[in-house]
Amino acid sequence: MEFKKKILENGLSLIGEVNKSAKSAAVGFFVKTGSRDETKQINGVSHFLEHMLFKGTDKLSAFEVNEAFDKTGAQFNAFTSEENTVFYAAVLPEYLNEVTGLWIELMRPSLRDDDFNIEKNVIKEEIAMYKDLPTFDVMDKCRSLHFDGHPCSNSVLGTEESIDNLTAEQMRGYFANRYAPNNLVLACAGNFNWEQICSTAENGCGKWQQQTVERKLEHCLGSRKEKRDEKANLAREHICLMSAGVPAQDKRRFAASLLGVIVGDDVGSRFFWELVDKALAESATMQFGAMDGTGAFYSYIRCSSENMPKVLDTVRSIFQNLSENGITEDETRTAKNKILSALVIKNELPMGRLIDLGVNWTYLNEYRTVEDDIKAIKAVTTDDIHSLIEEFNPGDFTQFSLGPAK
Amino acid sequence: MAEQFDKHILKNGMVLLGEPMDAVGSVAFGFMLPAGAAVLDEGSCGAGNVITDWIFRGAGDKNSRQLSDALDGLGLHRASSVVSSHITIGAALEAGNLAEAIDLYADIILRASLEEDQFELARHLAVDSVLALDDDPRQNVMLKLREQFYPSPLGRSTVGDIDELKTLTAQKTREIIKDKFNLSQTIFTVAGKYDFEAVCQQVESLFETEQSKELPVVTIGSKAGKYRHLDNDGAQVHIGLMTSTVGPADDDYYNARVAISVLSGGMSARLFTEVREKRGLCYAIGARYHGLKEAAGIACYAGTTPEKAQETLDVITAEFNRLGEGISEEEIKRAKIGLTSSLILQSESSSSRAGAIGSDYYILGRVRSLDEIKNKIEQTTVDSVLAFLRNNKFEDFTVVTIGPKEITVK
Repeated sequence: MEFKKKILENGLSLIGEVNKSAKSAAVGFFVKTGSRDETKQINGVSHFLEHMLFKGTDKLSAFEVNEAFDKTGAQFNAFTSEENTVFYAAVLPEYLNEVTGLWIELMRPSLRDDDFNIEKNVIKEEIAMYKDLPTFDVMDKCRSLHFDGHPCSNSVLGTEESIDNLTAEQMRGYFANRYAPNNLVLACAGNFNWEQICSTAENGCGKWQQQTVERKLEHCLGSRKEKRDEKANLAREHICLMSAGVPAQDKRRFAASLLGVIVGDDVGSRFFWELVDKALAESATMQFGAMDGTGAFYSYIRCSSENMPKVLDTVRSIFQNLSENGITEDETRTAKNKILSALVIKNELPMGRLIDLGVNWTYLNEYRTVEDDIKAIKAVTTDDIHSLIEEFNPGDFTQFSLGPAK
Repeated sequence: MAEQFDKHILKNGMVLLGEPMDAVGSVAFGFMLPAGAAVLDEGSCGAGNVITDWIFRGAGDKNSRQLSDALDGLGLHRASSVVSSHITIGAALEAGNLAEAIDLYADIILRASLEEDQFELARHLAVDSVLALDDDPRQNVMLKLREQFYPSPLGRSTVGDIDELKTLTAQKTREIIKDKFNLSQTIFTVAGKYDFEAVCQQVESLFETEQSKELPVVTIGSKAGKYRHLDNDGAQVHIGLMTSTVGPADDDYYNARVAISVLSGGMSARLFTEVREKRGLCYAIGARYHGLKEAAGIACYAGTTPEKAQETLDVITAEFNRLGEGISEEEIKRAKIGLTSSLILQSESSSSRAGAIGSDYYILGRVRSLDEIKNKIEQTTVDSVLAFLRNNKFEDFTVVTIGPKEITVK
C-alpha cells in the first residue's frame, strides 16, 4: 500500500492509496455538505442536488452521462447524509482515469430548469418510498427529535412541501458555495496510476474558484424527548432510541464503536440476549455514529405492540445495569474481535477502502492505514468504555416509536 | 491468468469446493444443506427460518450462550440464508480462525441440542419475521411475486407462512433436520485464504458418514394466477413483475443475461431511462435475472405513487416487448462491459466467491471460471441476442402489487 496526496492551490485535496495487487479501483468525490448545512427554506436541497449532478453539464445530457458511465462498466452511485455527499464508482483499473474525468466534469453541472422539474418527481417518489419503509422512517423522525434545534435535525430528503417550494435558482446558489474545491476531497483506492489521476484532476479542477465555506459546529446532547406516531397500516412497533456520543474527531470514537457492539450487535450482544434471544423483539440493534463535531448512539428495535412495554422496561434495565455494573473484559475482547474482522474484510475491497480513506480525510485531514485503525481498536481498554458510559449515559435517550393505532 | 479451483468429494458424496484468493487475508465458507423451502413437506413453510435460528441455540457440549460466545470470540460474521433449494450456513472471518470455526459448525450441523423451550423462541421469532413483512412492502412484493410466478412449490416463501408456522412442532422440525441435512447431498465451499489439504482432512474427519442414496424429491405443481393484489394503505404501489426466461444451463443463458442488461443493466439501460429519467415515474426501478435449477425468470420491481402506477406498469411491459424489435451495437457493448465488470468486482470478495462456486456446482455440476464466463459474454452479439429474443418472446407477465390501488394487467 502506498499513500499519495496533493493539495491543489484552490484547496482541493487529492488523496490515494495504491494497491497494485487489487483487481479493481475505486474513486470518489467527498463533498462536505449535507442537510445540516441547509436552512429550513431549502431543506432537502443537498440530496436533490446529488441527483441533479447526474443530469449533465453544458456538454453532456443526462442520458450521455449515464451512457458514459455504463461504457466503462462502472458500479457507481452517490449518497447524501446530514453532513456528507459522496459520489463514487468502482471499475476495472483501466477505466479509473476515464471515470475520474467524468466525475470531475459532473462536479460542474448545468442544473437546467427542465431537468430540475422532472427530477422533482423522482425525489417526491423517493420520499414516498421511505414513508412505506418504517424502519427508515422511524430513524429519520427520531433524528429530528433528538437533534431538536441543532442543524443535524434537518431531514436529508426534505418534505414534499419543502421540495415543492424549492427553486432551481436556490439550488444553484447553494451549489456555488458548497461545491467549492476547498470543500471537496477526491480520493482513489486500489489499483491505479497516481500520476495520471493527478494530472487529470489538475487539468479538470485547477481553475475552480476557492470560497469561504462554513459549517456550524456544535455538540448536541440531544433532546431526550419521547414521541409516538401511529399509522393504521402498520403491523409492528418500530422503536428508535438515540443518545449522545463523541464526535468523529474524538479518539474515543473507537471505544464508542465497541460500546455499540457490546450493547447492540445483531448477535451475542446485551440487546440480543435480553430481547432477541428471548423472542421479546424480532430485531434489536445499537450502533455508534460519529459525526462532525458531535456523535450519537442509535438503537432500532422492532417488536409486537403487545410486547412493547416489556421491551422498553428491559431496555431501561439493560442501560441501568450498564451504568451500575459496567462491562466485562470478555465483552471488550469479543467486541474487538468482531470489529477487527469486519474492518479487515471491508477493506479488502477497493470500494470499502475508498470510503474509509475519504471519510478520514474529510473529518480528520489525516491518512490512516487499516493497521492504524486496528492498533487503535486493540488499544481500547474496558476502563475507556466505562468512562464513556459514565460521561454519555446511553440510558438517557430520545425515543421515537412508530406503530399501529392503539 | 485462469484461476484454479479445489475440489474433493468425500466417500459419502459430500462435495468440497475451494477457490484460493491471493490478495485477501480473510476466508469465507458455507455449508449448502439440501433443506431449502421448496424441498420441505407441505405444511411446514417457514421451517427453514426456524431451523437457522434453532441450531445455533446450543450444540455439542455448549449451551446457546457458550456457542455464541465461541463464535463471536473468533470474530466470525455469520451468514445464514434460506433459498428454494438449500439452507446455507456459513461465515466470513480472519483466515487464521478457520479450523476452529469449522469445528463449531460441525457441532451446529450434526449435534445441535434442539431443545424444546428453545424451539418455541425460534418459532416465535420466525412468526415475527413473517408479520414484519407487512411493514416492508418492497421485500414482501418480491417474495409474493416468486410465489406467484414459479410453479408450486418452487417459489414457496423462504420466510414462512403464519398458519403453518403456528402449527409447526419441535418434533416435526427435528425430523426435517434429520432427513434434510443429508451430507451426501451437501456442498461445502471455501474461498479466500486457506490450506485445502488441511480443510479436506478436517471436514472429512468431521463429516464422513455412510452414504445416503436418498435424493430430494420435489413434485412440481401448478402456477398461480397472473395477477395478485394486496391492499395496503401506504404511500406507494409496489409493483413486482416477472416473466420466464432460460435457465443457467441453457445455451442461450448468456444471450438472456445480455438482454436483461440492455433492459436494466446500468443507468443508461432502457427501464431506468424510460421510466425514471424521461417520465419521472419512479425512484426505484430495475429488473434482474432470477434463476433456480428448475426454472428461471426476469424479476422487475418498481415503486410509485398510486396515480402513476398504471402508467408505470404499461411503460415497463412496453419496454420488455420492444426489446426484441431492435438493439443497437452500443447498447450491447455497454451491457457486456457492465456484466464483465461486475463479475470481476465481485470476484474480489471471499464471501461472494464462496457463494458463487457453490451455486455453480449445484446448478451446473461444475464451477465456471471467470474466463469462461467472460468469453461467453464476449461471444454474444446483437444478432445472437435478437435471435434469442425472437425465439423466446415475453408472452406472460406475472404481476403482484401491494398498495392502495389495483392496476390492470393486460
